[in-house]
Order: sequence, then structure tokens, then C-alpha cells
Amino acid sequence: MTFSGELLAFIILAITAVIGGVLLLNLNKVVHMVVALILTFVSIAGIFVMLSAEFVAVVQILIYAGSITIIMLFGIMLTRHRETTEAKGGGLRKILLLLGVLGFAFAVYIGIYNLDLNPQESTLHVNNVEQIGMALYTKYIIPFELTSVVLLVALIGAIVLAKKDDEKEANKE
Amino acid sequence: MENAWIIPLFPLFSFLFLLLFGKKMKETSAYIGIFFTLAAFIYSLVVLFDRFNHPTFKAEANWLSIGDVQLTAGFEVNQLNALMLVIVSLVSFLVHTYSKGYMHGDDRFHIFYAYLGLFTFAMLGLVLSPNLLQTYIFWELVGVGSFLLIGFYFYKEEAKAAAKKAFIMTRIGDVGLLIGMILLFWQVGSFEYDEIFLAVENGAVSAGMITLTAILIFIGAVGKSGQFPLHTWLPDAMEGPTPVSALIHAATMVAAGVYLVAALFPLFTASKTALLTIAVVGAITAIFAASIGLVQTDIKRVLAYSTVSQLGYMMLALGSAGYVAGVFHLMTHAFFKALLFLAAGSVIHAVHTQNIEEMGGLWKKLRLTGPLFLIGTLAISGVPLFSGFFSKDEILIAAWAHGNTALFWLAVVAAFFTAFYMFRLFFMVFTGEARSKMKNVHESPAMMTFPMIVLGILAVVAGYVNTPWFGTFLGDWLVEGNAALGHGHIEGPAWIMIVATIVSLLGIFLAWLMYGKRTLSRDWLSSRAPYTYKLLYNKYYMDELYGVTVVKATKFFSVFLSYIEAFIVEGLVKTVAGIVQGFGKIGSKIQNGQIQTYGTFAFVGLAVLIVIYALTGGYLK
Amino acid sequence: MSSVPVSAYLTLALILFCIGLYGALTKRNTVIVLISVELMLNAVNINLVAFSKYGMIPSITGQVFALFAMAVAAAEAAVGLAILIALYRNRKTVNIDEINSMKN
Repeated sequence: MTFSGELLAFIILAITAVIGGVLLLNLNKVVHMVVALILTFVSIAGIFVMLSAEFVAVVQILIYAGSITIIMLFGIMLTRHRETTEAKGGGLRKILLLLGVLGFAFAVYIGIYNLDLNPQESTLHVNNVEQIGMALYTKYIIPFELTSVVLLVALIGAIVLAKKDDEKEANKE
Repeated sequence: MENAWIIPLFPLFSFLFLLLFGKKMKETSAYIGIFFTLAAFIYSLVVLFDRFNHPTFKAEANWLSIGDVQLTAGFEVNQLNALMLVIVSLVSFLVHTYSKGYMHGDDRFHIFYAYLGLFTFAMLGLVLSPNLLQTYIFWELVGVGSFLLIGFYFYKEEAKAAAKKAFIMTRIGDVGLLIGMILLFWQVGSFEYDEIFLAVENGAVSAGMITLTAILIFIGAVGKSGQFPLHTWLPDAMEGPTPVSALIHAATMVAAGVYLVAALFPLFTASKTALLTIAVVGAITAIFAASIGLVQTDIKRVLAYSTVSQLGYMMLALGSAGYVAGVFHLMTHAFFKALLFLAAGSVIHAVHTQNIEEMGGLWKKLRLTGPLFLIGTLAISGVPLFSGFFSKDEILIAAWAHGNTALFWLAVVAAFFTAFYMFRLFFMVFTGEARSKMKNVHESPAMMTFPMIVLGILAVVAGYVNTPWFGTFLGDWLVEGNAALGHGHIEGPAWIMIVATIVSLLGIFLAWLMYGKRTLSRDWLSSRAPYTYKLLYNKYYMDELYGVTVVKATKFFSVFLSYIEAFIVEGLVKTVAGIVQGFGKIGSKIQNGQIQTYGTFAFVGLAVLIVIYALTGGYLK
Repeated sequence: MSSVPVSAYLTLALILFCIGLYGALTKRNTVIVLISVELMLNAVNINLVAFSKYGMIPSITGQVFALFAMAVAAAEAAVGLAILIALYRNRKTVNIDEINSMKN
């Protein structure tokens, strides 16, 4: 493994992403956690760029770092968020879970650490957006349309869920 | 004869029917029981007469196959079985009839009849069984019937205790029977009587084993027939209703032990030791129980000890190779002892007490019961021309002919005792002046006197089927075609008959002197030999002896075992239960409704599986 | 050929996935739990995209799938937040360990 700019970029991005994740676990305030996660999401977008997926990277920034985070922040604002979120008790469960997660990570790592698939040279970086567009509108046209249905359902469902009790309360009054 | 298996089904049907519908029928349920036992009796008579002209009939069906061994179930009609069928069904029928009057007004009237049906079914099934296993099953069923009927007045503490005692004491004997049965099966490979006899005859079983099994089986008979030393339950069993005492504890069930020995007679004759054991136990029982009977004051207990004593006689006969004598006495005894019990029941019914010292002068008041009781008394005392005389004579001759001189004299003394205590009973109850209490004494209804009359006639004439004077019809028929059973009639010196007669007349005379004419003081024995009297009155302290030795030892052992139970077994159980409970508690703690906990445990489980998989290999290698 | 091996990307994805998993199962605030789930989905996306480039046969399909996953994640986030708001209105809390109506 020779040292190169690409490797340097990967290391920086990877460390940033992990730091974001660790901050998510360790910060005290909910808002800070979400902001820490933006760091992770942006780093992952960088990783996507390295993986010749410019379009996915852009979408990542738009959706995750943008909309989802904003939605979550709204959720935090709308609910009670001043309290610190450290759980009292449940220590045993946490240790158990930590062991489980570490075991799981170890087992998966055994599987992947020496993975070498000897891939062919890829051409994904050439006209990436065009390739995705071609795939989406030809081969994956039906899933693509179905995704729009999913989004519509989610939209309506979210409105219904959020509105329902308002109406009830309104009726009561 | 081919359909003899139907006989036990009559009372069984009566039992089931009364169990289902008895509650609504109340006292009419008696007619159901009477009808079905009458049917069984008539059919038994048919079978008996059929048996006179035809050979033994046996039918079997395969019941179980275990390896090469076939267990069969079926029935057999040989001479003994046919005779027993008639005796059992007749006495049962008469007792059913009698009980209609005796049990009148009892709340659990129908249950009483249901139990009687169950018992009759079991007893008939027992005498029809062609193999030991079936015999054993019915043997136990008979025990259950006896238990239920002794404890019929279960609200009385004594009845409850007596029922338990009877059940447990007979169970001790049954253990012997069971062991003997299993040993025989191990040796012969079959429960069939015929095959057992064949094996014994061919010498397939070693002599020691024959003796052992014979004695073990005899222990079963000892328990059931109330022989010494397991006799103590029988007098206590008198707590049951009197008709029950007549049916079960005089005529049928207690005779089952004698029947068993008779049915397995070829096995016993193959071992001299076993025969001697039977004879000795029988003789001891005869004299032992008779001596206790001398001083008892409860009318039913006197009869109970007399039963024990007479059963000892039968055993003595069988042990002296007097097969015919034993069976003959079994038959005559069934009649006259059932008669005595029913008459005693009639007396109790009239005066509402069982203590003979409170009775007296009943002869004029009970015009029918009195003479009938006298007939029974004469028969059991062995007065010439009554049935007991002939059968007792046969036994004495058998004992003499077999060379057991000591046992012979014991039997003679027992005969003297028997005559004495029976007439003591008779004189005390029926003669003398009436006591003040005895008002409103009246004769029992016809429903009760009819069975007594029938039995009274039989008690007189039953002996004439086998007499040295008019031919030994019964004996010849019983041993026909089976050499192992011995001769139909054993010739004995004529003086034995004279001795027996003199002895019984002496006993009667002495009883008359003491209790009839009062020339001798009643307290003769108790004043001269107070210790002997006390010993006899307390039945040789047998119950107390058992209480101190067997019961104490058993209790000690039981306490020991209960500690094992409490600490070791219970501890193990509690540990197991505790472990399971602990797991359950952990499990239910997990189920706390929080989705994260569920997720944690689901994931940890998955992780464990994956780690195991990764470590044991097979992962992209 | 790239100087960064595919296993590096996969390892990064694994680490992020584990962080997300741990967060999802331990955090008390429901919003954070939802965000942790998003993080796990993102880790999966890294895998998809990495294999789309470094798989046996490079193909755009992996990236398309990542896009689909993002769309579904966005929908999930919206619905999850709506549920959260409804829940908050009823129970006046967003602490997940106080929500145990699955008990009994």
C-alpha cells in the first residue's frame, strides 16, 4: 500500500466520520449530537466522492446533512430537549451491548480485513450523473416510480400522524 | 359352559348401573342388585350342572405379547371353579336379598348395593381366572370391595380404622403373593395354572424354588384368609354392616385364600415343606382364634374369630393333602357361617346392640332367628348329621392320615373350643331371662328371614354330598381327572368320628353347664386364671404387640424416610424449580416493554451466533 | 488501481454501523435513536457504493441502490418524526425508556 493523496484523503475523511460518530455518543446536549452527526454525514459524502459517486455524494449532502438533520432539529425543538440524555442505570445492559457490538465487529472484521476482489477497471467516474440517470430511467424505472409512491405515503402519513390529536383536542374544546 | 364368562358381568352391570342411576332409584336399587345376582346364581347353577357331564372348559385370548411371552386373559370352568361360582353367587344373592331389609333407611343405600355388585363381580372373576395374573387383578379388586364395604360407615372412626387396617394387612400378604407370582413367572415363563403345574411336574423348577414360591403365595393367602399372624384385621372388619360380614368376611373373600391354595394345589403338593407350613399355620390359627373366641363378648367378634379358626381348619386340611376336605369345608362353612352372620345381623337388628352380655331370652321373641341360629351353631360345632360334622370329620381324618398327630390333636381341641364358644354365644343370646332393655324386640322382615331359611336348609343338607355313609360324590367329582389332588375320600379309623362327636358334645355340655343351666359359675375362668382370661380377652395382645414392634419400626423408618423426602428429594426438587424460576425471572425482566432492551438482547444473541460462526471457521476461507 | 483497499472502506462502514447500533440501543432520547438509525443506513450506503466501484464487476447499480436507500431513509425520518411528535403530545416525553406500553 503506497502512500498517496488518495489514502491521505481517505484517512482524514474516515477519522472525521468516526469522530463525528463518537461525538454523537458522548456529547451531552441533543442539539450538539445532531450537529456532530452532520460532520459524519459530510465526511461520508467525501468518501462517496472518492468512490466515484459524485451524484450520490451530492444527494447525501442534500438529504442527510441538509434535510434529515434539519428535520431532526425541528423534532428536538418541538419536544423537550433541555434535559441531559445520559441514562441512569441500565449499566449492565450497556456492557452487554458493548460486548455484543465488539464481538459482532470482530466477527465481521475477520471476514473483510483481507478482502481482495481483484476488480476490473471501473468507468463510474465518467459522466456519473448521466449513468445514474440512464439506469434509473431504464432498468430501474419501476422501483424509481415506486419510491415516489413511498415518499408520498410517508408525506401523507406524517401529516396524518402529526395532525390527528390536534383535531381531537380541537373537538374536545 | 362356553359362556360362563358372562356370570361376573351380571354384578358388574349392576354395579355400573347403580353407580349411574342409583341416586334416583333409592331403595328400588336393591331389586336391581338382587335381580342381577339371581341371574348370576342361576347361570352358575347351569354351569355347575353342565360341568357334571362335560370336561373342563377353558377359553383364552391373547392379551399382551412381551417378546416371546404371551399373556393371556380368559376363563376356566373346572370343578373347583364351578363349585365356587355357585357358592359365591348364591351367598351373594342371599345377602343382597337380606340387605334389603337390614340396610333399610340408610342414606347411602344404593351405594351399598353398588359396592356389593362390585365385590361380587370381583369375586366371581377371581374364581373364573385361568391364570395367576388375572387372579391377582381380581384378588386386589376383591380387596378394594372389602375395603369399601368395611368402611361403609366411614363416619365412624372405628370403621375407618378397620377399613384401613384390613387393606394394609391384606396388602402385606399380597406382597408375598406378588413376589411368588413373579418368581413363578420367572421360572416357568407363564402365569397359566396349567403350564405352571406342567413345569412343576416335569421338574423344570427346582425343589427349593417350588417351596419358596409356594410359601410366598401362601403368604398372600394368609393375608386374605386372616390366618395367623395376619389375622388381626378380620375381627376389626366386623365394623362393616353385618350382611357384608356375612358375604365377604365369612363366606367368600376370606375363603379366597383357601381357594387360591386349592387352585394351586399341585404346586403345593410338590413341596413337603410348603405343605407342612400350611398345615402348621392352619392348626395354630384354628386353636389360637378359637381360644380367643372363648371370651369375647361382641357377637360379631365371636363369629369373626370363629371364622378365622374355621379358615385355619381349611388350611390345615389343605396342608395335610386333604384337598377334598378343605374345599368341602369351605363350602359347608360358607353356608353355615353366612347363616350365623345373617342370624346375628337379625339379632342386632332386633336389639340394637352387639354385646352378648346385654342380650338374653331372645328365643321366645325371635321365633325364626333363634332356631336358625341354633342350626348354624350345631353345624359349626360338628354335631352329627349337620353339614359341619361331615366336613370337619374329613379334615380330622386327613390330618390323621397325613401323619400330623400333633396337629390332629390341636384340631380336636379347637373343635372342642368351637363347640364351647358357639354354644356359649347361643345360650347367652337366646336363653336366660330377658334384660330390661330388650323391649320392642320383633322378628325381622321376610326379606331378611328368607335368605336365612335357605342357608339354614343348606347348612343341614350340604354335608350329604360327601359322607362316608352315603357316598363321597363331591370328593370323587372334585378330583376327577387330576391325580395331583389326591383321593376323593381318605379312609380313616372310625374312632376319629367318634372322638370328634364326643368332643363337640362335651363342648356343648360344658357351655350348657356354664351358661345354660348355670351350675358352673360364669366367672370360672376369669376367677381361676385371671391372667389367662385377660390374655385371651385381649386377643393375646396381638394388636398391641404389632403396635409396639411393627408399627413402631415402620413409623421410625417412615420418619427417617420423610426426612430424606424433606431434605434430599425436596431439596433437589426445589433446586430444579429454583433454577427454572430464576431463568423465568431473568426472562421476564427482559420483557420490560422497552424496545431497546428487546433490541439489545436480540442483537447480542445474533452477535453470539456470528462470533461462534466466525471462530469455528467457514467464513469466506 | 486505487491505493485505498476496499477493506478500508468496509471497515469504516463497519465502525460507523457499530456506532449507530450502539447509539440506537442505548440513547434515551428518541430523536437521537432515530438519527443513529440514519447513521446505520449511511454505513450501509458506504458499503453499497464501495462495492459498486470495487466489486467483482463494477456497476452503477450500487449507487442507484444507495439513492433508493436514501429516499427510503428520508421517508422514514419524516414518519419517525411524526410519530415522535404524536407520542410526545400523548406522553409528554421523548425518553424511550419511559415508553414501555409493550409491557404486559
